[in-house]
Amino acid sequence: MDGARTIVERAQLLVVENLIWAILVAVFLAFSIALPHFFTLQNVHFILYVASAIGLLVFAESLVLISGSMDLSIAHVAGLSSMLVGALTIQWIPGMPGWTGIVLIVVVGAMLGSVNGTLIGWLGINPFLATLSTFLMYDWLTFCINRGAISRVSPALTFLGGGRILGVFVAIAVMLAVCALLGFVLTRTRFGGWVKAMGGNPQAAQMLGINLPWMNFWVFTIAGALSGLSGLLFIGYLASIPSTIAGGDDIFLAFAGAIIGGVSLKGGEGSMAGALGGVLLLGVIDTGTAMTLIQPAVRGFLNGLILLAAILVNKYRLELRDRILAAHPGTSGAAV
Amino acid sequence: MSAPDPGRPPPLLSLRGIEKWYGEVHALRGVTLQVARGEVLGLIGDNGAGKSTLIKVVSGVVRRDGGQVLWNGREVALRSVREAQALGIETVHQDRAVVGTLDVARNVFLGREPTRGIGLFRVLDRRRMARDAQALLRDLRLHIPSVHQEARFCSGGEMQGVAIARAMHYQASLVILDEPTTALAVTGVQTVLRFIRRLRQEGIACLFVTHNLHDVHAVADRFVVMARGAVVASLRREEASVDDLVRLQLGSEAAGRGPLPGTA
Repeated sequence: MDGARTIVERAQLLVVENLIWAILVAVFLAFSIALPHFFTLQNVHFILYVASAIGLLVFAESLVLISGSMDLSIAHVAGLSSMLVGALTIQWIPGMPGWTGIVLIVVVGAMLGSVNGTLIGWLGINPFLATLSTFLMYDWLTFCINRGAISRVSPALTFLGGGRILGVFVAIAVMLAVCALLGFVLTRTRFGGWVKAMGGNPQAAQMLGINLPWMNFWVFTIAGALSGLSGLLFIGYLASIPSTIAGGDDIFLAFAGAIIGGVSLKGGEGSMAGALGGVLLLGVIDTGTAMTLIQPAVRGFLNGLILLAAILVNKYRLELRDRILAAHPGTSGAAV
Repeated sequence: MSAPDPGRPPPLLSLRGIEKWYGEVHALRGVTLQVARGEVLGLIGDNGAGKSTLIKVVSGVVRRDGGQVLWNGREVALRSVREAQALGIETVHQDRAVVGTLDVARNVFLGREPTRGIGLFRVLDRRRMARDAQALLRDLRLHIPSVHQEARFCSGGEMQGVAIARAMHYQASLVILDEPTTALAVTGVQTVLRFIRRLRQEGIACLFVTHNLHDVHAVADRFVVMARGAVVASLRREEASVDDLVRLQLGSEAAGRGPLPGTA
């Protein structure tokens, strides 16, 4: 469209816009060369599977980050909604049909998320502080309900996270479907555009009549619902509901996946396709290092180091992208 | 409310005793002014005179704490930007209200994007946005390389053009321009002034807020001077030279330093 941009610049832009996929392939190939059983269909299937539950958390965090906020509580929304619905359907009301749990867990997640949305949207509390408080509350509430674990989870609750259709884990389809749906919402609907607008320039969005309190409410509620769904995948993955179901590193991984995938911490920028790339890169690295003889503690450290490297690469990627676009500001390759 | 005058149509916009407080700060102290149909009203005054607050009230960004707003003689609540837009009030904000990470076409329609389909399947009509944005910008004689470029790569004048294109598209009866020429190069200023003259030709009223007295004198039919949250003078174009406006603005500021009702 823009004749001023040279072919070299176009090529550079193409690489820069899709760098996450190039890195993903490179890291995958590196592990394939180093590890004998890495490059197999079975292993790829497994990588996708372990990425799916954390993937939903990454998508939830990406949505919130693009809207210009942050949510520290999503992993514990996943944990609390799993535990609450598990206790409800298995222990408190034993006769409840299992499938109601699937719906309930998403609804409870949405409700927990809407608490954040209310605090941030209408009470005007800083997102960091609001979600730090709910993070603590949800974490300890999970322990209040059950200090140990709920085993004997009904098959209906484990199907999405642990079941297979034609040998393929259902969780992978759930992750890809959610990614596609969110990507569609973000790029093709008014709501999605407003999420980007409020993240990119909240004052402008407000002056143009976009209702920021409502938008915040819905963004955090949707993030909560996705976190509930993520909890459901964790249940299937673990075949039980421990009180630590989505704790530990999960919240950090949610941020990491989003940022590696090109979602800006400053808001207004990022795509679900990029976030998916970030999720898959996390999965490849985690699976790869798990297959080595490195001890778990060192692995955790290495994961952090690799994450830092990815963040640095992304920083230079964005700077390079800006330079190319500023030189000839024609069409951006990242129109979607 | 006064009895309607059967002989004369009511003014397009009539503000009566508008009050606004920001905490302890009395930002608007009973502002009363009128804008006639098709009139270009220059609203001037020094920084902190309350011009921007008044604009925010009229454009629905903030709610007034007291006073009446009449639109075509009928009292309106003016509680939100949407309500103002529905009445036919378009605002070009001081900071242009442009989202840098969205492309130019999206920025023109932001908040009121055209869609296709129905219900849950309503999606943005991106082709129409691009086409209409292109036409609007061409109409404004603005040469932005592509409507698909991210707005953060636009110059100040181009961003102003985007904001003006927005106001143009929605066929308003009143366009408010808040400091549209500040921080613009000469050609950008010319574009803005040309736009205001065109609004007048089309019979669209314009509330032009600025502290650049040369710019406002070039296009306005009437001037209203504000100081310390109140209207201190109102005069027709024939009654005032640029120098008079300068004196008024300076003088009103000096006069405004005296004790005003409502201050401790």
